[in-house]
Amino acid sequence: MIEFKNVCAAYDGEVPILKDVSFTINDGDFVAFVGTNGAGKSTTMRLCNGLLKPTSGQVLIDGVPTTELRVSELARRVGFLFQNPDRQICCETVRDELLFSFKAQGNAGPEAEERVDQIIETFGFDPAAEPFLLNRGTRQLLALASIIVTAPPVVILDEPTTGLDFRECEKVMRIVKALHEQGTTVIMVCHDMEVVADYAQRVIVMTGGKAIADGPTFEVLRNPQVLAAADLIPPQVVDIALRLQQAGAAPASVTSANTLTEMASAIGAYCAKGGAC
Amino acid sequence: MIEVKDLTFCYRESSEPVIHHINLTIPDGQFVGITGAAGSGKSSLTYTLNGIVPHCYPGDFYGSVTIDGKDTCETSLTDISQLVGSVCQDIESQMVSSVVEDEILYGLENFAVPKEEVAARVDEALEVMGISDLRDRAIAGLSGGQKQKVAIAAILALKPKVLVLDEPTAELDPASSYNVFSLLKRYATEHGITVIVVEQKIALLSDFVDRLLIVENGTICFDGAPSQVLEHADELLALGVNCPRSTSLSVALRQMGLYAGPVCKNVEEATAMVKEVLR
Amino acid sequence: MNGFLEYVPGNSFLHRMNPVAKLLVSFIIVITCFVTKSFIVLAAILVLDAVLAATCGLTKQALGLAKAVAIFSLLLAVLALLFTPEGDVLVELPWGFIGTESVLNAIRIVLRLVACAVPLFLTFYVTKLTDMANAMVKILHLPYKYAFTFTSTVHFIPVFMNDMSGIMEAQMARGVEFDGGLAKRISLMIPLCVPLLVSSVRKTNSAAIAAEVRGFNLRSRTSGYKEYPFGATDFIAFAVGVLLVIVGIFVPL
Repeated sequence: MIEFKNVCAAYDGEVPILKDVSFTINDGDFVAFVGTNGAGKSTTMRLCNGLLKPTSGQVLIDGVPTTELRVSELARRVGFLFQNPDRQICCETVRDELLFSFKAQGNAGPEAEERVDQIIETFGFDPAAEPFLLNRGTRQLLALASIIVTAPPVVILDEPTTGLDFRECEKVMRIVKALHEQGTTVIMVCHDMEVVADYAQRVIVMTGGKAIADGPTFEVLRNPQVLAAADLIPPQVVDIALRLQQAGAAPASVTSANTLTEMASAIGAYCAKGGAC
Repeated sequence: MIEVKDLTFCYRESSEPVIHHINLTIPDGQFVGITGAAGSGKSSLTYTLNGIVPHCYPGDFYGSVTIDGKDTCETSLTDISQLVGSVCQDIESQMVSSVVEDEILYGLENFAVPKEEVAARVDEALEVMGISDLRDRAIAGLSGGQKQKVAIAAILALKPKVLVLDEPTAELDPASSYNVFSLLKRYATEHGITVIVVEQKIALLSDFVDRLLIVENGTICFDGAPSQVLEHADELLALGVNCPRSTSLSVALRQMGLYAGPVCKNVEEATAMVKEVLR
Repeated sequence: MNGFLEYVPGNSFLHRMNPVAKLLVSFIIVITCFVTKSFIVLAAILVLDAVLAATCGLTKQALGLAKAVAIFSLLLAVLALLFTPEGDVLVELPWGFIGTESVLNAIRIVLRLVACAVPLFLTFYVTKLTDMANAMVKILHLPYKYAFTFTSTVHFIPVFMNDMSGIMEAQMARGVEFDGGLAKRISLMIPLCVPLLVSSVRKTNSAAIAAEVRGFNLRSRTSGYKEYPFGATDFIAFAVGVLLVIVGIFVPL
C-alpha cells in the first residue's frame, strides 16, 4: 500500500512541482496517472519509490515513510521501469542484466539464478545476447523483465509504451496485465489514452502539480470538466459517446458505452429492437 | 516534386537491404504520413528523402531519388538542405543555442539569408508555431512540446519547399501532439509546401495527412488517402499497425450489417456515422 | 533552475558589454591577480568582483563560487605554508620552517584564486555562449569550426549531467546504493559508463547531422547576423583593466 499525505515536492528546493497531493493506492490496484507534460506525474512516481523525498507531507510504503527506508529496501518493495530503457541497462549480456537486479539488492544466489532462467524462458530472450544490440522494443522488454525478475509487490511504469510500435506495446501491456492478475500492484504514467482505457482500473488526473480527479477509469475519463481542466483528449470511443450525448443523437445505452464492443453491441441492440434501421 | 525510382539501400554495416525497390512520387504540396512497425525501414526511407542517406550514413545505394530534378547522390547535403528541411527525432541534441531566438537564427545565418530579411523570417517562424512569447527564453527551461516547436520553427524559418519530420511528437503528450500537427498542417496549406512525417500515432496521422504510406520490410505496402488505406484494417494489424478505434467501430458496424459506407478515419466521421446508423 | 555556467538572462551593463571585451577584461584581471603582490590591489579586485556580481544580480552565484574556490585554494595555501620557507622564522619544521613570508604567500594564494575566478565565471553567466562564439569568430577571426566545437561541448555538459543523474536514478531504483566509501562508489559507477557512452555517441552523432542539414558547412566569418561593435563601456572597462595591471605591478604591498 502506498499513501500520499498532503505531499509537496520540489527539485533543488525551489520551484514547487507537487502541491498538496493526497491519495492511497491499495494492494492489487491498477492505477494510471494521466495529464500533460509537466503536470507532475513523473515527480509523483519518483516519490512513490523514494527516489525523491517530499518537502512536506508524507509518502508511506506499507505504513513506513520513504524517508526511513534504505535504497535497497525501497527497490525490493517497489520496482520502477523508466521511460528510457537505456538508462537502466548496463550489463554485457541479457542474463547478467537480469542477475544484476538481484546483486543490486544484495541477494544473488542459486534461487536468483533459477528465477532468472525462468524469466528468460517466459520472455523468450536469448540469454547471451548483448543488450545494446537489441532493438528498442526488446530493450524495453528486457528493462521490464529486469524489474519484475525480483518480484516486487508494486511496479511503477513511467510511460511504458512510448516509442514502441503497436505490436511491442501490446506485448509489454500483456505482460503487465498478467502481472496484475497475479496480484502485483501496478502504477503507470501513460499518455496513450487507448492503453489507459484498455488496462487501467483507476485513473488519477494531474495538472499543475495537483491531483484534480481520482476514480474508476471511465468515470474520470467521461468527465468533461476534468478533461478540459487537464487538457486531455479522451479515448476515441468515449469521445464519440460524449459527442453523441451532447448532441442528444443517441439513446443512453449507446452514449454510456465505454469500449468498442459495448458501443457496437448497444447500437446493434437498439437497431434490432426496431429503431429506424 | 520528389521522385524515388527503384530505390534499394543497404547500410554498410548490415547485410540485408533496409529498403527494397521503392518507387514513389510525391507531388508538391502534399501532406504525407509514413508509418509501419519498428524496424520496417520507415525512418530510413525519410533519410533517403532528405539526403542523410547516402551523405551521412554510407552504404550501397541503387536507383535514384530526385528532388525538384536534383539527384540526391550528386547534390551535396548542404544543397539538398536548402530545399528539404529536416527535423530529427532527438530534439535535445539538435539544439545548438541556449536561447530560442539564436536557435532560429542559426540556419538563417548559415544559408546567408540577406540581413534585411532575417528579422522578418524569425518573427514569422515564431509566429507560425505560436511561440513568439518564448523568443528570449533559455531553451533548457522549456517543456518538451515547446522545444519541439522551436526545432520546427528553426527549420520553417529557412523556407524549405519540403519538410521532413521523424517522429516529431514522440516525446509529447496528446494535446501538444495534436497542436503541433494542426500548426504544421495550417502552415503547409498556406505556403504550399510538401510535408513528409514519420509517426507512430496512427490516429494523429489519419486525422491530418492527405496520403498515408505503410512501410513493411523496406517496401511500401499500402499507399493512398487515409480512408483508403484504413479499409485494409485487418491486413494492417498483421503488419503490426493498428488503426484508430473510430475505424474499428465502422468496421464492426459494417460486419453487423448496419453500415455500408466507407470506414471512418477520425472521431468526427465516426460520430456522424453512428448518428446516421441510428437515424 | 540554472545549471553550472549556464547563461542567466538579464539586461545589466555586463550583459550588454561586448563578449570579446568581457573576456579580455576578465583575462586582464586574472593577469593582475597573478602579477601583483599587493594585498590592497587584491582586496580592491575582490571588492570590484562583488560590485560586478551585484550589478548583474548574481551575488548568490558569485558567493557560492567564491566559497568553492576558497576551499580548493586553502589546500594549496596549506602546501605553500608548509613547503615555502621564507621570511622570519615563526615555526620550526623537521624539513624547514614556516616564515612570515610563507604566511603572506598562503594568504595571497587564496585571495588571488578567488579574486581571479569570479570575473571569469561571471563572464560565462552573463554571456550567451553563441554570442561569445560568434563574436570571437567575427572579431578575433577564430575559425568557426573551433568556436562551434567549443560551444557544443559546453552545451552538452548539462545534457550529459542530466543523463548521468538519470542513469544513477535508474540504478538506485534497482537497489544500487551509491552512499558509502569513495572506492565503493567508483566501483559502482564504472558499469554505468556504458549506458552513458552509448547515449553520448548517439547524441553527438545526431547533433552533427542536425547541424549539417542546417548549413553548418556554409558558415563563414561574415555569416553571423548580429554585429558586435565595441562601445564606450567596453573601452572604459578595458582602460580600467590596463590601469589595474599597472597599479598591480607597481604598488609594493
